[in-house]
Amino acid sequence: MHSHAKDGSINVGGSHEGKIRCIFLSEFHATAGCKISCQVPDNYISKEVFDAINVYIIPKQHLQRCILTVNAMDVKIVGYPVGIQDQQKYARNAFLFNLCFVCDSRARSVQYEPVVKKLSEYLIMMEEESSILSREDNKVRLQNIFETVLRDLNERKVATIVEGDNTIYLKIVMHKPDPPAVKDHMVPLLLANLRDTPLENWDLTTQQILPYINGINHVARIAAEADVETDLVKSCIQNLVYYGVVQLLPILKYGNVYMTQNLKHLIQSSELSNACRKYVALNPDKMLPSVQRIFQFYASMTHGVTLRAICQRLCPQNHNIDERKMVIFGLQHKFIRCIHKYPVFTGSVPSGRQKMYTGLISFDEICCKTGLSPCTIERDIEKDTNVTVIWK
Amino acid sequence: MDSNVNPLAVILVYFDSKGDRLLYRYPYQTLGQEVATEEQRKYRKRNPFAVVQTDDLLQTTATATNSTSSGQLQGFADEVLSALFAVKPQLCNQKFELKLNDVRFVSHPTLIPHKEQRPSNASKQQMLINIVFALHAQASYSIVKCYHELSKRLGLALKFEEQRSGYLTEQTGQMARTHDEQSQEQKPLEQTFELIAERCSLAQALKSIFHDLCTTGLLSTSLNHNLTLCFCLPAKAHQLHKKGSMVDPETIARCLRALKPYHGMLLLVDFAELLDCVPPTGARMLWQLVDAYNPLISLQSMASNADLSIEHVYKLVSHLVYWAKATIIYPLCETNVYVIAPDAPLHTKSHLVEKFSARFAGMSLFEVISDFSLPTSIGHLTTPLQQPARQGILAQMVLWMLQHHLLMQLHTYVQFMPNDDDDEFADSASCTAQRHSDADELDDQIEDNLHGGSVFSVSSQPLPVPSIGLTIGQRRTISENHSSLASASDNIVVQASSSHKSNFSMTASLSTDNCDSLDSMEDEQKLKELLLVFTDADRAAIRRIPASLNVDDLSLLVKLYQMGYFKSEHHLEEIMYFENLRRSQLLQLLDKFRDVLIIYETEDPAIASMYNNK
Repeated sequence: MHSHAKDGSINVGGSHEGKIRCIFLSEFHATAGCKISCQVPDNYISKEVFDAINVYIIPKQHLQRCILTVNAMDVKIVGYPVGIQDQQKYARNAFLFNLCFVCDSRARSVQYEPVVKKLSEYLIMMEEESSILSREDNKVRLQNIFETVLRDLNERKVATIVEGDNTIYLKIVMHKPDPPAVKDHMVPLLLANLRDTPLENWDLTTQQILPYINGINHVARIAAEADVETDLVKSCIQNLVYYGVVQLLPILKYGNVYMTQNLKHLIQSSELSNACRKYVALNPDKMLPSVQRIFQFYASMTHGVTLRAICQRLCPQNHNIDERKMVIFGLQHKFIRCIHKYPVFTGSVPSGRQKMYTGLISFDEICCKTGLSPCTIERDIEKDTNVTVIWK
Repeated sequence: MDSNVNPLAVILVYFDSKGDRLLYRYPYQTLGQEVATEEQRKYRKRNPFAVVQTDDLLQTTATATNSTSSGQLQGFADEVLSALFAVKPQLCNQKFELKLNDVRFVSHPTLIPHKEQRPSNASKQQMLINIVFALHAQASYSIVKCYHELSKRLGLALKFEEQRSGYLTEQTGQMARTHDEQSQEQKPLEQTFELIAERCSLAQALKSIFHDLCTTGLLSTSLNHNLTLCFCLPAKAHQLHKKGSMVDPETIARCLRALKPYHGMLLLVDFAELLDCVPPTGARMLWQLVDAYNPLISLQSMASNADLSIEHVYKLVSHLVYWAKATIIYPLCETNVYVIAPDAPLHTKSHLVEKFSARFAGMSLFEVISDFSLPTSIGHLTTPLQQPARQGILAQMVLWMLQHHLLMQLHTYVQFMPNDDDDEFADSASCTAQRHSDADELDDQIEDNLHGGSVFSVSSQPLPVPSIGLTIGQRRTISENHSSLASASDNIVVQASSSHKSNFSMTASLSTDNCDSLDSMEDEQKLKELLLVFTDADRAAIRRIPASLNVDDLSLLVKLYQMGYFKSEHHLEEIMYFENLRRSQLLQLLDKFRDVLIIYETEDPAIASMYNNK
């Protein structure tokens, strides 16, 4: 379960992605003071709550044009307080307002900050042009804008609103942790649901390498086959990883060793096990392999047992199972993990290739870097008494 | 990620009928921007990998904040902060969180009634005290929660001390006076704060709290030389044993919820250090437990040796684990199977290498740990011919490696799954007629015939070729020593895989032949009753196993099945513990029914959750 929490943006450290519950505009009224002038849905923020926190909604002047988030009384309010100075137009020489998004108090709200700011900038512009905020009779227009923004951002994360001469473009961009560095020996796997996106929607480099991403080819090979420079391929794939389009897997070899983890999820969720049966079928027209067979296959993966040994013992192809897809599915859903091999130099002064045996560089990576066959490296390590091999 | 845990500052704001005031803050340099901008440049979540920047929203915020920081917002003035944190009474005694650009403030504003000087004074004056922690905006929810908890506890402690001796009134008065006299002399603010720290014990306490939070994450501060406040920031404290790992309280809670009487405890620190985490008054029970401490025995035995109830032991152990003083293990024994942890920081530059050879003279960490590249038990690494001392040293080394999270224990799990080609999800009805679980090839041939395939194509199917899908440069042929390793591990691991044959089933079938005819009538009846718990398909599969004719074997199987032990949720040790079985008994049973059971090795998810924090 833990690994799920890590990769998904759904549940980061106990908080969760929450929808926008309410959008409101608060202003400093010339006679009535701080008040909410327009709210969608109506009365989401009650008078009591607003009175308790209005110091943070219409703050002192030094905090204007700062993104200010206040989380108290079970609501989280993201705002961007603004003041427009105009001695002729406004009764108090300035018009103070704040456009706020409201979320649940436990929800993450960083992703809304740029949106709140951008929408505020639009409102400032519209206020200067047509007094949309300060004139009472424009409240219905504002109400409509807020309703559309709330609905579209929650449903599609994008909103485009045409209002008079202005067009408002808003988009929620999710904050995600930086993707890991992509290395030559890694294998990118395109996630199934994005296969259908038309090719021309991608940028040029991605268009060129996309056909070679199949869950089998590693980065160096993709670069060679697509005739694109390796560094370019790497940054392109890193970008795809960031957006969750591609997942990086270890290279598949029959000499690899895999280990199970959380295998019970496979049988506990019939949805997952059915997806697995479809995915791993060698010939989709024949009868799909049974969950039992698949489970047995995964269960036999453990330290010290190579994929080849398992294939020889269980003959997956006789049961309409494609062992390569099986491994990919297992890695993708984290039922199994690859046990990597790390040579470590334990002598005093390393020379030549020994410098690479630090325990940080895996066997696959060494092969890829040196361009030597695993056999050669293997023999090399075997002969060298100063090198210990660690599997983890 | 690491620096997100540390606080940027701690602020003390006081508010009463005379107005609000920022009485103390630490560190003294102007808060906020200077620290934050430097950090923000490093940690700002920007995506430098985007090939086309269709949406530059993030970029524009970055430049905007930077420009304001060089302009008017050169840090938040103390007056602004004190106005912000002198919250309205409605917001008191609950969590308060405020985020300003890249700084997140968290606190628990506490209303404290003044200690009544004269009992006649009926109107009870209240003061508001707000101890605010400034954090990085990126700090995760659980870190924020911990700081809130700390602020809350400080507030409570101050409330108590105020009621006891008017401590807060005295301290805040002192601070306010120092501010007044220093501002008259036009002294810089930093000097004022330094003077306050010299004069007021509360300021000293806050300062030491800030330092402790930045260094160890463990703090034990006494307020007014009377009340001891203990607090642990798990995200920080657990890094002491493993750099860069983020253990949030939720993970620890999940691990502790899974605590069972058969688990054991492994201390991570010396006995002397244990006392840090408990106030001296609460130490008696801990000593009782520590006297009985032994990583070789279960919590249950520890409880009975220490004459404590198991619930008390759970509480104490949970406390120690939370405070990063102990970790949960399965009690060390010869049969435990260990393997190198996937995230073990094993490299030539690691400080653990030297630490290990200092602890165990003349031993190399890599040489010792490479034995655990394959799942291995202490029993297998020692032979009876060796001196017993060697085994003792090995056990010490294993404990050391467990303390440093270098090793992880593997357990064996059991899943009931008749090896039967038609299952509940089958979408093709054509094969339901055939059940030949013991003759797989036959089964497949029939299946192929049903689907119009040829028998010969199946039997002549070549073995998988190892070189599929690899480039010319990367073609990996598997060396012979891999497969020899593989077979070696099959021998090492007692209960390896389902193909592992032994001769137990032979003896079982012989014993059933010897039964009396009268007994067998009764037995037959009993067997039928026992089998009723299974579904039709499962029953048929079990019937084909010779051991199913033995009442004892079958009743044990049925019992374990009904208890839900064959659902991949319980490892062998757990079954043994709760059902009072010996390992050999259980292994024999599993072996007899291996056709309907799938046995595999994996880590205990409860304990592993404390590991995979890469």
